[in-house]
Amino acid sequence: MILDLLAFLVLAVTAVVTALAALLVRELVHTIVWVALFFVSLAGFYFLVSAPFLGVLQLGVYAGAVTILLLFGVMVTRKRIFAREAATGLGPAPVALALLIVVVLATAASTIPSSTTQVHGYSVDALSAALFGTYGAWLLLLGLVMLPALAGAIYLVREGRE
Amino acid sequence: MSGTLSALFPWAFLVPLAPTLAFVIIGLFGRRMQRLEWGGWVAVGGAFVAMVLGVLIAVGEMLSPGTYSDRSVAWLTLPGNGTGAFPHGFSLVMGTLVDPLSAIMLIVVTVVGFLVMLFSIGYMHRDQGLPRYYAELSLFLASMLGLVLADNLLQFFLFWELVGVCSYFLIGFYYAKPSAASAAKEAFLVTRIGDVLFLLGIFIYFDLFATAGPGAGWAASGFLFVSHGAPFLAGVPVSNATLFTVAGLMMLGGAAGKSAQFPLDVWLPDAMEGPTTVSALIHAATMVAAGVYLLAVVSVFIGFTATDQLLIVAIGGFTTFWAASMALVHRDIKRVIAYSTVSQLGYMVLAVGAGFTMVGLYHLFTHAFFKALLFLAAGAVIHAVETQDLFKMGGLRKSMRITSIGFLIGALSLSGIPPFAGFFSKDDVLGSVYQAAQSHPAYWPFLILAYATVFMTAYYIFRAWFLAFSGDHPRDPTLPHAHEAPWTMTVPIVILSGLAIVAGLLAFVPQFGGLFRAGAGFLPTPGVPPTYTTTSLLLSGLSVGLGLTGILTAYVLWGNGRVFTLAESSAVQPIRRLLLERYYVKAGVDWFGLRVVYTVSRFLAFVDEYIIDGTVHGFERMFSELSTRARRVQSGVVLDYAAYVVVGLAIFLVFLYLVVPAFPALGGG
Amino acid sequence: MTDLPLAAFLGLSAVLLGIGIFGILTRRNFILLLIAIEVAMNAAILNFVVFGAYWGGTPGYGLEGPSIAVVLVGLAATEVAVGLAIVLALNRLRGSINVAEATVLKL
Repeated sequence: MILDLLAFLVLAVTAVVTALAALLVRELVHTIVWVALFFVSLAGFYFLVSAPFLGVLQLGVYAGAVTILLLFGVMVTRKRIFAREAATGLGPAPVALALLIVVVLATAASTIPSSTTQVHGYSVDALSAALFGTYGAWLLLLGLVMLPALAGAIYLVREGRE
Repeated sequence: MSGTLSALFPWAFLVPLAPTLAFVIIGLFGRRMQRLEWGGWVAVGGAFVAMVLGVLIAVGEMLSPGTYSDRSVAWLTLPGNGTGAFPHGFSLVMGTLVDPLSAIMLIVVTVVGFLVMLFSIGYMHRDQGLPRYYAELSLFLASMLGLVLADNLLQFFLFWELVGVCSYFLIGFYYAKPSAASAAKEAFLVTRIGDVLFLLGIFIYFDLFATAGPGAGWAASGFLFVSHGAPFLAGVPVSNATLFTVAGLMMLGGAAGKSAQFPLDVWLPDAMEGPTTVSALIHAATMVAAGVYLLAVVSVFIGFTATDQLLIVAIGGFTTFWAASMALVHRDIKRVIAYSTVSQLGYMVLAVGAGFTMVGLYHLFTHAFFKALLFLAAGAVIHAVETQDLFKMGGLRKSMRITSIGFLIGALSLSGIPPFAGFFSKDDVLGSVYQAAQSHPAYWPFLILAYATVFMTAYYIFRAWFLAFSGDHPRDPTLPHAHEAPWTMTVPIVILSGLAIVAGLLAFVPQFGGLFRAGAGFLPTPGVPPTYTTTSLLLSGLSVGLGLTGILTAYVLWGNGRVFTLAESSAVQPIRRLLLERYYVKAGVDWFGLRVVYTVSRFLAFVDEYIIDGTVHGFERMFSELSTRARRVQSGVVLDYAAYVVVGLAIFLVFLYLVVPAFPALGGG
Repeated sequence: MTDLPLAAFLGLSAVLLGIGIFGILTRRNFILLLIAIEVAMNAAILNFVVFGAYWGGTPGYGLEGPSIAVVLVGLAATEVAVGLAIVLALNRLRGSINVAEATVLKL
C-alpha cells in the first residue's frame, strides 16, 4: 500500500517533470531524451495498475519506435533546429487555458465515488480474445487508417516532387 | 346524330388546346416558317380546328340541350370538418362546362377568331415580327376559349387574366411606337382595376358559398356554379344580402373594366393602336365579350340583387349614349367603330342588367359578326389607302367594291335595319328593357338614352361609310391608288357579311333559338325571338324609324362626297371639342395619374427605398461587417486552428462540468 | 493489486493533458508540437488504461478500455509518422519547420 503510493508519487512527479522538460528545454536532442523518459514513466503506471501488456506496448511503441522516429526527424532537419523560436505572442492565455482545463477535469475526477476504486486484473488472454474477437472491427479500422496514412507519409517525403 | 355530337362534350378542352398548340409551335419554330407566312398558317390551322370542334359542340348542345360539366381536375381539395370558416371544406377545380351560354360563345369566338386569323395573313403581310404576332394571337384566342369553357369563377379569372395580358401584348404590337406602348399599358392598367374588383367579388362569393352554401353538395362540386340562380339567392341569409349585393357590384366592376363600360371605357378607343385585326378580335369576339359573358354567367348561375340590376342597367344605359356621342365627331375610322363597340356593349350590359341575360348574349352574338365585319372592312380600307383619317378618304366604293358592300352590310346591321342581324338583337334589347321598365320605373331614363342612341348609331356609322366610300375620288389626292384586298382578306369579309345578314334570323331556327330560350335550370327568359304584340311592333317601328332617320341625316350631311361645313363652324364648336376631347375624361385621368397617383407613388417609393430597403440593407451591411471580421479567423496558420480546438474543448468542458450540474433542467445529475 | 484512488490517476492525466495543451499552444517548432500532441495523447491513453484496469473484466464490463488503448497507441504511432513526413516536406519546401510559417492552407 505504501509502496504503491510511493511508486505512484515517484512516477507522477517523473511524468510531469519530464513532460515539462521535453517542452521547455532549449536543445531539441535533449527534448527527445526527456520525452523518452516520459514514455517510460507512463509505462511504469501501466505496470502499476496491473496492465503489463499495455506497459510493454508503451515501451515498445512509444519509448522505442516513436522516440527513434522523433530523433530521426530532429536529425534530418538539424540545420535549423538549434535556433529555437520564441514561444508565442499569445502571452499568458495558453497557460490560463491549460490551467482551466486541468482544474475542470480535476474537479470532475474528484467526483468519482471512491468505492469503485479497486483494480481488477485481467489476463492478456482475455485482452487478446477481446481485441481479436469482440473489438476486431476496431483493429480493422485502425489498419484502414494506417494504410493510407503511411502511403500519404511516403508520398509526402518522396524526392523530386513539385 | 345528337347523341354523336354530345359525345364530343368531354373533348371540349381540345377547343382551347388547338390554338394553344399553335401558340407553342409558332413560339418555338415561327422564325423558321417563312413559307407558312411566319407561322400564320399554323395559327389559321389551330383556329380552324378550334372552330370545327367548337361549332360541332355548339350544335351538339343545340340538339341535346343541357348542362354538361367536367370537373375532373381538382387541383386543391381541403376537406371540411363541420366547423370553422369552411365547415364543408372546398375543392378548387379545373374543368369544362358546356351549356347554352358557352355554346353561343363558342360559335362567336371560334368563327370570328378563325376569320380574323385568315384575314391577318393578307393584312399583316408587310409587317415585321409576324411569329410574335401569330403566337400571341393564338394564345389570345386560346385564353378566350378557355374562359368561355371555364367551369368555375376561379378558372374563369385565370383565363380572364390571360386574355388581359395577351391584349396588352397585341395592343402594344407596334411597341416601338410610343402611342402604342402607352395604349397597351393603359388597356392593361384600366382593365386591371376591373380585375381587382372581380377578384374581390370571387372572394366574397367564396366566403358566402363556403359558409352558407348547401352542404356536402357544394363541397364536392367545386368552386362555383353549384346552384342555378334564385335557389342560391334564396339560400343566402338576410344578414349577408348586403355582402351579396356588393359581390354583384364587384362583378359589374370587373365586367366594366373588360367590356369598357363607363367609367372604365377610356382604354378601348386607345386600343386602336394595335393592328386592325387585333382590334377586330378584341372588339368582336374575345376581350370585350368576356365582360358581358361574365355578367351573363353570374346572372344565370348566381344571380344579382335588385340593387345590382339597377346599377348595371344604369351603367349600361349611360355607356351606350356616352360612347355613341363621342363617335359622332371623330375622324379616325377605327375610333368611330371603337366607340360604337363601347356603345353596343352598353346595350348588352343593359339587357343583362334588366334581367334578360340571353337577350344580352343574343346581341353579343350578332354584334360579334357585324363588328368584326366592320373592323375587317375598315382594315381592308386602311390596308389599301394607308391612312385612318376619314376626311382623307372618299370614293372608295368604286375601287373596293366587296369591302364597301361588306362595310355597308355591317353598318346597316349596326343601325338596326331589318332584316340584318343587328335589328333583331337590338330590338330585343330595347323591347326587353321596355318590358322590365314596366315594373321598374327607374329603368326609364336609360331606356330613353338607349333609344336616342339608336339614332346616333345610325348617323355616325353612315357618316363613316359616306366619308370613306361615297363621292367620286379621295379628298386627299396624295392617297395611294386603292385596290381591292387579296382573297385572304375578302373571303372573311364575305363570310362575315353573310353572317351579319343571317345571324339574327338564325334565332328563328328552333334548335338554335333554343339556346337563347330558357334551358333547364336557367333564369326564365322571355322568348327570343319575342312574341310580337302591338306594343312590341310599335317599339320595333320606333327603333327602325330612328335608325332610318339617322342614316338619312348622315346622307344629307355627308353623302356623295359632301362635307358638313357646319361641323366646323363656331356655333357647335364647344360641343364638338368636348366630344373630341372625350368629355375631358382622359385628360382628367391623366391629371389624376400625374398629380395624385404620382405624388402618392413618390411617397411610397420613399418609404420603400429608405425605410423598408433601408432596414434590409442595414441587415445586409451588418452581416457583411460581421463576416469581414469573422473572416480573419481563417488565418491559415495551423497554430490558430489548434488554439480554436483547445478553446472549444475548454468551453465544452466548462459547460459539461460546471454549467450542466448547476442547471438540472439541462439534463445534469 | 493496488487500491490507489482512481481520482489520483485521473488528476495526473488532467495535468499531463494541460501540459500537452500548453505545448500545443506555445511551441512553434513543428517537432515540439508533435511531442506536445503525444503528451496530450498519452494522457488520454492513460485514462483508458486506468479505467480498464479498475473495471475491465468485472461483471457487466468488457475490456473496452485496454482495447481502445491498444488502438490509440497504434493511431498515435501513425500520427507521428505522418507528422514527421509533414515536417520533412515542410523543411524541404520552406526551409523552416516553424509552424507559424506553414500558412499554405490559407486561400
